[in-house]
Amino acid sequence: MIRFEHVYKTYPGGSEALHDVNLHIKKGEFVFVLGHSGAGKSTFLKLILHEEAATSGRILVNGFDLSNIKKRRIPYLRRSMGVVFQDFRLIPTMTVYENVAFAMRVTNVKESEIRRRVPYVLKLVGLLGKENTYPTLLSGGEQQRVAMARALAHSPQLIIADEPTGNIDPEMSVAMMELLNKINSVGTTVVVVTHEHELAHQLGKRIITINHGSVVSDDLPSCDEEEPASDPEQAPAQPADEEVMA
Amino acid sequence: MRWSSFKYLFRQGLHSMLANRMMTLASLGVLLVCMLLTGFTGLLSANVNSLMEWLGGENEMVVMLDRSATDTEYEVTGAQIRSIDGVAEAIYTSKQEALDQLSGDMGEYAYLFNELAGEENPLYAQYTVRVSDPARMEEIANEIRSLDCVEMVNSPDGLVKTFLNVQKWVQIISWGLVTVLGVVSAVVISNTIRLTVFARRKEINIMKFVGATNSFIRMPFFVEGMTVGVVAGLLASGLVLGGYHLVLQKAAAYFAGWEEVVTAVLLPVQAVWPWVTGGFVVFGLVLGGIGTITSMRRYLDV
Repeated sequence: MIRFEHVYKTYPGGSEALHDVNLHIKKGEFVFVLGHSGAGKSTFLKLILHEEAATSGRILVNGFDLSNIKKRRIPYLRRSMGVVFQDFRLIPTMTVYENVAFAMRVTNVKESEIRRRVPYVLKLVGLLGKENTYPTLLSGGEQQRVAMARALAHSPQLIIADEPTGNIDPEMSVAMMELLNKINSVGTTVVVVTHEHELAHQLGKRIITINHGSVVSDDLPSCDEEEPASDPEQAPAQPADEEVMA
Repeated sequence: MRWSSFKYLFRQGLHSMLANRMMTLASLGVLLVCMLLTGFTGLLSANVNSLMEWLGGENEMVVMLDRSATDTEYEVTGAQIRSIDGVAEAIYTSKQEALDQLSGDMGEYAYLFNELAGEENPLYAQYTVRVSDPARMEEIANEIRSLDCVEMVNSPDGLVKTFLNVQKWVQIISWGLVTVLGVVSAVVISNTIRLTVFARRKEINIMKFVGATNSFIRMPFFVEGMTVGVVAGLLASGLVLGGYHLVLQKAAAYFAGWEEVVTAVLLPVQAVWPWVTGGFVVFGLVLGGIGTITSMRRYLDV
């Protein structure tokens, strides 16, 4: 699902953000990427999204080899995952419904499927009834949940959450982690990037610690399943997360 | 792309025009002013050109024939003149017809010419020659002068040269102005669109991160840019044609008694509206479309 092989990243100006990073996150895993501010977590995320390219090394994400990915394939790479950004990155001119539907529209999903799926994911994150509200009128926690709903909308095989509890209260943090856990329980790979040690240790999941751009520890629970071969551009026919509500 | 996606993106374009109405109005206003300036300059140029063509078309040369030649020789000379490349028309007037015309013009003093009939007639048989291209007037006159039965040729070469010179400079200056205004419009519009795109760069960035392709992101902006262009084009053509109609009415009132000349010289609204409206709409579409694509390029590279 995600594989880093001897990955180095040095920004123009000489600042080295990642140094010989090697890791492998398998399908269905729930992984915390832990590190303090400036450790290299953001660069790790940027490399996965191909917002930045690695200086050297090989990165494989959902079947895409990012070392030689063509520009026109980048949207397909990004569609294969759902990302919950720390600053939410919601489109302020679109309603909650439109923000969530947008992630499906870019993948050319039928309008009838969008009408069916969006209320479902909004219900999943507890935002049913807020469909026509604009993001600027929502609280931080609600915006976080819209971002989560958008990440889930197109049923990705991989969910990445960047500091998902950074802008919400402790109660909401617990609810958010429970939701991510539920999503993971139906087979979706979840990667949570955080600086909160407590949060990472609470769930008893695998924790990869990054410090000064290097992986300094990888607390690996037993995880033997193999990745199935799949077409990276194809979304699953039946969203697995719909079992969460069942 | 699905038809439903296309409809959605089209609606998004129109929706964002309303959502960003101040920027839309700014783009519309700038484009409108540029088009008005370009339109009025273009019409002024077209009318000056039309005036010059009319004045140029009024010039003709008179070919006087040898008095001693026979009617048959006159006919042969007429055929030779008509066969010259660039001659549009050659109308024969005999010595007697020329005399009748002159005495007719003299009114009550016509009797003075009674003595000049027949062999005493001092006038020349002549051909009135019109050329299709006034620029070749001198060349054709020289060719006619070389014919056997031709006594002399009265050709307004100097006048024609002056008209052609004025026409050439009017065309150069007006096309120069239209080009400069067109380029200025393109730059101003491109900058205005760049501002709208800059104001929404975060939105574009978010779209990129949820996996939108460049064409998917570009489409609503494209619809927006082209709609603004077309609306500005239609408004500008309405204002330019309305203003031009008023100018024509004023000119007709000012030059009362010269209606025939005014009608012949100034281009009627019916003749210019397809060019003005079509030109503005195409200009608006192209500017709006190309402006959008070029302004967005840097924000799509994420």
